[in-house]
Amino acid sequence: MAAVLELQDLSVQFHTGKEIVQAVRDVSLEVQEGEVLAIVGESGCGKSVLCKSVMKLLPQTAHIAGGRILVDGADITDYREREMEKLRGNVFSMVFQDPMTSLNPTMKIGAQIAEAVRVHEPKIRKAELDGRVLELLGLVGIDRAKERMQQYPGQMSGGMRQRCVLAIALASNPRILFADEPTTALDVTIQSQILELFRNIQKKFRTATILVSHDLSVVAGVADRVAVMYAGKIVEIGTTEEIFYQPKHPYTWCLLQSLPALSKGKEELFTIPGMPPNLAHPPKGDAFACRNPYAVARDYEEEPPMFRVSPTHYAATWLLAEDAPKIMFGRENGKKRVIHQEWKDAEVLLDVRHLNHAFPLSRKLAVKAVDDVSFQLRKGEIFGLVGESGSGKSTVARCIMNLYHKGSGEVYYNGIPLHDRKVYRKMHRQIQQNIQIIFQDSTSSLNPRMKVKDIITEPLVINRIRPKRGTYREEAVFQMKYVGLDESFLDKYPGELSGGQRQRVAIARAVVMEPELLIADEPIASLDVSIQAQIVNLFRHLQEEHGFTFLFIAHDLSMVEYLCDRVGVMYHGKLVEVGLTEDVFAQPKHSYTKRLMESIPLPEPGRKEERRA
Amino acid sequence: MRKNPWIYYGKKLLIFVVSIFLLSVIVFYIARLAPGDPLVSYYGERAEKMTAGERAWAEEKLGLHESITVQYGKWLGRAVRGDFGISYKYKMDVLEVIEGRVGNTLLLGGVGFVLIFVLALLLGIWCAWNEERLIDRAICKIGTVTSCIPEFWLSLVLILIFAVELKVLPSSGAYTIGKENDLGDRILHLILPMTVVVLGHLWYYAYLIRNKLLEEVRTDYVLLAKSKGVTGKSVMFRHCVRNIIPTYLSIMAISVPHILGGTYIIETVFSYPGIGTLSYESARYQDYNLLMVICLLSGALVILCNMIAQTINERIDPRMKGPDLTEDAEVIMR
Repeated sequence: MAAVLELQDLSVQFHTGKEIVQAVRDVSLEVQEGEVLAIVGESGCGKSVLCKSVMKLLPQTAHIAGGRILVDGADITDYREREMEKLRGNVFSMVFQDPMTSLNPTMKIGAQIAEAVRVHEPKIRKAELDGRVLELLGLVGIDRAKERMQQYPGQMSGGMRQRCVLAIALASNPRILFADEPTTALDVTIQSQILELFRNIQKKFRTATILVSHDLSVVAGVADRVAVMYAGKIVEIGTTEEIFYQPKHPYTWCLLQSLPALSKGKEELFTIPGMPPNLAHPPKGDAFACRNPYAVARDYEEEPPMFRVSPTHYAATWLLAEDAPKIMFGRENGKKRVIHQEWKDAEVLLDVRHLNHAFPLSRKLAVKAVDDVSFQLRKGEIFGLVGESGSGKSTVARCIMNLYHKGSGEVYYNGIPLHDRKVYRKMHRQIQQNIQIIFQDSTSSLNPRMKVKDIITEPLVINRIRPKRGTYREEAVFQMKYVGLDESFLDKYPGELSGGQRQRVAIARAVVMEPELLIADEPIASLDVSIQAQIVNLFRHLQEEHGFTFLFIAHDLSMVEYLCDRVGVMYHGKLVEVGLTEDVFAQPKHSYTKRLMESIPLPEPGRKEERRA
Repeated sequence: MRKNPWIYYGKKLLIFVVSIFLLSVIVFYIARLAPGDPLVSYYGERAEKMTAGERAWAEEKLGLHESITVQYGKWLGRAVRGDFGISYKYKMDVLEVIEGRVGNTLLLGGVGFVLIFVLALLLGIWCAWNEERLIDRAICKIGTVTSCIPEFWLSLVLILIFAVELKVLPSSGAYTIGKENDLGDRILHLILPMTVVVLGHLWYYAYLIRNKLLEEVRTDYVLLAKSKGVTGKSVMFRHCVRNIIPTYLSIMAISVPHILGGTYIIETVFSYPGIGTLSYESARYQDYNLLMVICLLSGALVILCNMIAQTINERIDPRMKGPDLTEDAEVIMR
């Protein structure tokens, strides 16, 4: 069987002002017809760049520095834009991460799909074209396709939009499909539906697919082969079973271990120490050496070649050299987690009773976002609120924070009625000091024009509180150490930090007030798995030391299972199930909770069907 | 869900009428409170030699002896019936005076506006297409310089070069006397003022188009369009340009008064017989009745254009039409 796509020693460089960033370094791989190859790695490791460089969709600052790209044996490395335009759509097409932004908001769905069809068959008749669009919409599982064709992307949900993007990608029967984090921006339940769809379509059309993801559990059930990328290089490649059950590269071990599903019942989630290297100056030797607990001296000196483990399995690590120490990868290690029980007898800190909130659409209509939600939080408890997007989780948080008014229902904090405007106005300063919130998107919730130290100490300045550690600067240093950042970040701007670092700053900003209640609204949703683990560990540490009560809102169930004492499941604005984490996860009662639990992707290829049965 | 169009447009009309009324009150009072002698505009030189008795008689004849409020009441009463009085200077019905001039201004401003609209769009697209290449950078630099030059100065320089030195174009007026019906002659007279009108505003809008397009080009949907095989040119025109047109239209609608205001100054410099020169004269010579109508017309135009801009925005952009609704969101009636 001939390879549809073959990359030979492909290198891609970015010219950014002074530096040359080597985003992709000597990548060689091939994809057969009807095969799904997954590329996994932390963000910034070059997996997206790799896909885009094949399609030549990179900005002008990027160029292919070396290597060859072969499609069906033909070298397309030096193809110009005009020649590429003929290949795109016909030979390969792409699905992007965020269906919210990847569709043209002012063009009807049908027209956008039709455009893609027409690229393939320019002379197609109108009636035939419509038929084809309907067929495509049906193929990706959109019902009432006739009406949907006439809708704009803004009128559709995220999952439906991603289906439409897939329909566009399939419109011209491509030989190769690139899927760049196709489910990262979606809810768990939707994610499993879309993955299922990918699998079906892929089986039907035998399209060679390259699936890019930072989450190993996502690819477990879909991919035939997995390539692990680190710092622009492929460090390990093999069949899915080989990667998941006999990984050879330490980086793959680390990625697998940081999955919360593998840390079940452990004291702490596994995290990879350190940061990926700066690709403007890639290190000598193995790029992963300085984060690798099993690194041997040779790793720092010499770049390891691809060692052959089996005919399908290759890995680049000196651990596979003949003279290397024999280290085996074990899935089970780490201390057992002690379950904290003290909160069970503590007094009630937050009492939400019959909370309702509706968003007006017009004068006569409204969407009920929160529908009769009641729950209690005891002091020192970590309460997880889960549900898909649009289920009203964030609205609950905002109602508690008094960021939204006009709803009905009662919210008592330490006995103080927060819903009473008069009382709230009188006490708002004190209340605001005691309740702090952390938002999902640290990029937009931190002021880009303020320095890190000013962001952290701003709540103190506003509330005219004297910092405990003398000056504001010292206070900022202290808090930053607490969340794991060193002093060098003090005078940086949020734009200079990575996503995980920014989220740490946001946490420091919330913790500086020493709040009693901390509300985190999807604090890890936009982060990589390995960084998610770091942040969740941080939350656990902070909770143990400060003893604050924690309302953790998330759609990632495995993190919730790991972190929270109790869970509440929200569905369509209603709180459908509340209980101890162990109970809810072991015996979900509500049908929606069951569905949620089933759609958690497991990092165990081959087990999915078993569980279904 | 859909708003009742009668209520929608009724509301707009009400806002329009109220704004015009307020405008008329303000202009009426300010004009009369400003220093100056309206009799000069009616009687010319003679007004200065009048005796007190003659003045009183003349003021009574023009209705200027009463308090401003009473004057306004009477003016409003007549205006509602369509009688805006006579121009003191021209001794003609105000509407007739304006009728004679409005065509010239519409020609200068209207054609200028269309030229700005089209040229800015083309220039903006051209620049965005050649982003950061030499041609784009050159146009950007030149554009910044031309948009910084004050209009009156540019007018004078152009007159100096083309009318005084080269003697190829006329320096003032709308036509050569005796050649009122010669189209070529009229066009010749239009060239210089038109150049100033267009140059003064062109870059501002071209730059807007360029930057909007560059913003658009960087969005994900452009990447998707390219990845499905659409050519670069059609991505630019079918997706990007299409998506900025609503914004552009509404901005252009708001800018009608802006451009018109520019033509007023330019008309004065070129002694071009349009509304601009007329309004300048009427303000200078206290020609109250004329001033009122010109102000109300201009004001009506401003408000109308703003309303059009708003409607365009609400109508064209599907994002503004309805809220995001997943089909299973629970909707309740209030």
